[in-house]
Amino acid sequence: MKIVACYSNKGGVGKTASAVNIAYGLAKAGQRVLLCDLDPQGASGFYFRVKPSKKLTDARFFTDVKRFTSAIRGSDFDNLDILPANMSFRDFDVFLSRMKNSRSRLKKALKSVDKDYDVVLLDCPPNISTLSENVFKSADAILVPVIPTTLSERTFEQLLAFFDENGLPKKKILGFFSMVQGTKKLHSETVEAMRKRYGKRLLDVAVPFSSEVEKMGVHRAPVGTFARNNAAVKGYDLLCNELLERL
Amino acid sequence: MPEILTITTGGDLRTLLRDADLGKLHLSLDEADGGSAFTLLDTFDAQVAAAELLLLLTEDGLHLLGGAAPLVQAHAEPDFLARMPAGPVTKRLSGIVSPLRTLMSVAGGTLSRQGLRVLDDNEKTHLRGTLHVLDAGKGRTVSVSDLTPLRGYDKTLRKVGSALSGRAGKGKVNTMLEASAVLRGEDPALIGKTRVVMSADEKAFKAANDIIRAQLVAARRQEDGIRADLDSEFLHEYRVALRRVRSVISLFKGVYDDKQTADLKARFGAIMARTGRLRDLDVYLIEREAYLALVPEGFRPGIGKLFDMFAAQRDVEHAKLTAYLDSKAYQKEMAKLEALFDKTKALSKGPEAKRHALDYAKALIWKRYRKVCKIARDIDDATPDAQVHELRIECKKLRYLMEFFAPLFGDAEVRKLIKALKGLQDNLGNFNDYSVQQAALQAQAEALVGGTAADTVEIASGLGALVTVLHQKQLEERARVAASFAAFDSAETQAQFRSLFKPGGEAKP
Repeated sequence: MKIVACYSNKGGVGKTASAVNIAYGLAKAGQRVLLCDLDPQGASGFYFRVKPSKKLTDARFFTDVKRFTSAIRGSDFDNLDILPANMSFRDFDVFLSRMKNSRSRLKKALKSVDKDYDVVLLDCPPNISTLSENVFKSADAILVPVIPTTLSERTFEQLLAFFDENGLPKKKILGFFSMVQGTKKLHSETVEAMRKRYGKRLLDVAVPFSSEVEKMGVHRAPVGTFARNNAAVKGYDLLCNELLERL
Repeated sequence: MPEILTITTGGDLRTLLRDADLGKLHLSLDEADGGSAFTLLDTFDAQVAAAELLLLLTEDGLHLLGGAAPLVQAHAEPDFLARMPAGPVTKRLSGIVSPLRTLMSVAGGTLSRQGLRVLDDNEKTHLRGTLHVLDAGKGRTVSVSDLTPLRGYDKTLRKVGSALSGRAGKGKVNTMLEASAVLRGEDPALIGKTRVVMSADEKAFKAANDIIRAQLVAARRQEDGIRADLDSEFLHEYRVALRRVRSVISLFKGVYDDKQTADLKARFGAIMARTGRLRDLDVYLIEREAYLALVPEGFRPGIGKLFDMFAAQRDVEHAKLTAYLDSKAYQKEMAKLEALFDKTKALSKGPEAKRHALDYAKALIWKRYRKVCKIARDIDDATPDAQVHELRIECKKLRYLMEFFAPLFGDAEVRKLIKALKGLQDNLGNFNDYSVQQAALQAQAEALVGGTAADTVEIASGLGALVTVLHQKQLEERARVAASFAAFDSAETQAQFRSLFKPGGEAKP
């Protein structure tokens, strides 16, 4: 079981949409996926029409295995389950370390229909906090969506610096270009410059901007379900393949 | 394994689901497939449906509906289960379908399938499954749908389950057995078994006639299967039904007058006599592997040849019996007997004919029970075999009487006592079978004289070995009789017999 965090210290980069489409893409590729909606503003659960569970607001939540597993909801898609949002993160670090410990009750209880999840994807809140630090420690990979602009480059730089300062392994960071508009000169120049500078910290794939992705809120579904041949869908599929290779 | 809800109804389930009050939930149906031909497979006595399963054969495979999850495997023609290809469907059916019974086509028609989902007000799916509408023509339609909750939506499953419970739809179909009966065009109460309604104050004469009439129906239902030689259970069930008829005639003393009793005994006896040899051979052939395993390796080729002889004899006997069943004489005799028990006016009544059934039943069962106990309590290791045989026959009579009159005493109570009796009966039955088989095999050995020299010696030595083993087995069963009876003769069972059957005591409603 691999833990993958979808994280950005900058808002408006399509983090939640990416988490939703990547979860869907991985499941479509046959991976058993649990998408955890940890971002109170993101509501990845919203895109899967899953109602937030009231029970999850309790601080005790993360220490209570049964409450955790019974809050998981099957999405309408094979291999893809959702842990809905609205939770307190006080004990989240405990939760994450237990998830990694093969002997813990949580690890044993945390299963899809009959087998372990292959990937637990965390849709993380967009700030650097104690929570994010623990996520960085526990996750096997941290997916960071980057819009190729100067401002985004700056926040990506800040994230790497934070890893350095705190002695965190930078190789976990997997940035990817998101909402790329090939016609914009700034975008293509930034992509080129960042690839030179950050090398393996960036995935090869670049997910193009698409108005279909913006329509996910209307459809309340991953973009691949209603715009199958969209360029962004192909981008997410390639991203899933590359992610699986890197894990 | 997730919980699963199987909804079985008569008619079209879609109407039922549309009318059900599901609150904020609603139903969504995918487009139906084009429809395809199906064959309903089961044993003649509906063993699959009795286990709450439906086995369908379509062009694209064998489908098993009901149970924990719908199963499918590649298309295969019906046969004995052991002869069908291995797969999830046949695996699930082993232990449900008797190895003695063949699966056969029992109904057919058109199957239409469509995806079915239960959604909430956000259009989020909570439950999904497949709706099967089975149409066997002439208005014989049933629907079977499985609904599985997506993870975390078990509550919805329970909600939908309770909203639909008790809403059987058309024809009061709630179970797979009932659904199967509708498709087969049979009465669900009669499928695979006979059931006689009886009241405490009806006359013994009526009770006897009702039982016999039901058993005659049961016997005649088996005739086609015997002719077609589908499996050996058709003949077995045929004989069981006729044996029950004869038991009523001989055990319900005084219901018919002496002359009538003697006449009926003789006529049913004559029919039964035609079937005995074929049944004996069937029993040997069923036990072929078990017999082979009983004797040392060296004797097995001889035993194998012996069974080949039995198989050849069986074919001859089967042809003879079929010819008899097809004969005008048999058809006429059966028609006459059926008419006799349909009209009943021509039956000569005996002195007990007008007694109330309950009184009469208690007297018969109590007397037979006391007789069983009396014989059994005297049995020890030194008792002659003849007395053990007598005990077996008395037990059988007691069992039949209890089964006949079970509707008067409460099926569940009687079933418990029959279960207690069964342990003893199995022991006595084995004892008897081993003894009968030894005699029959010895007779076979004598008949061997005149066969080709090499084979005769080989078969005879095999026979000898087998008889020796069977004798040993018989002694083992004999040694257990006293203990088997002691197990049956518990204080609790005694008290139950007394309270249910002792004349003068109160009967349970």
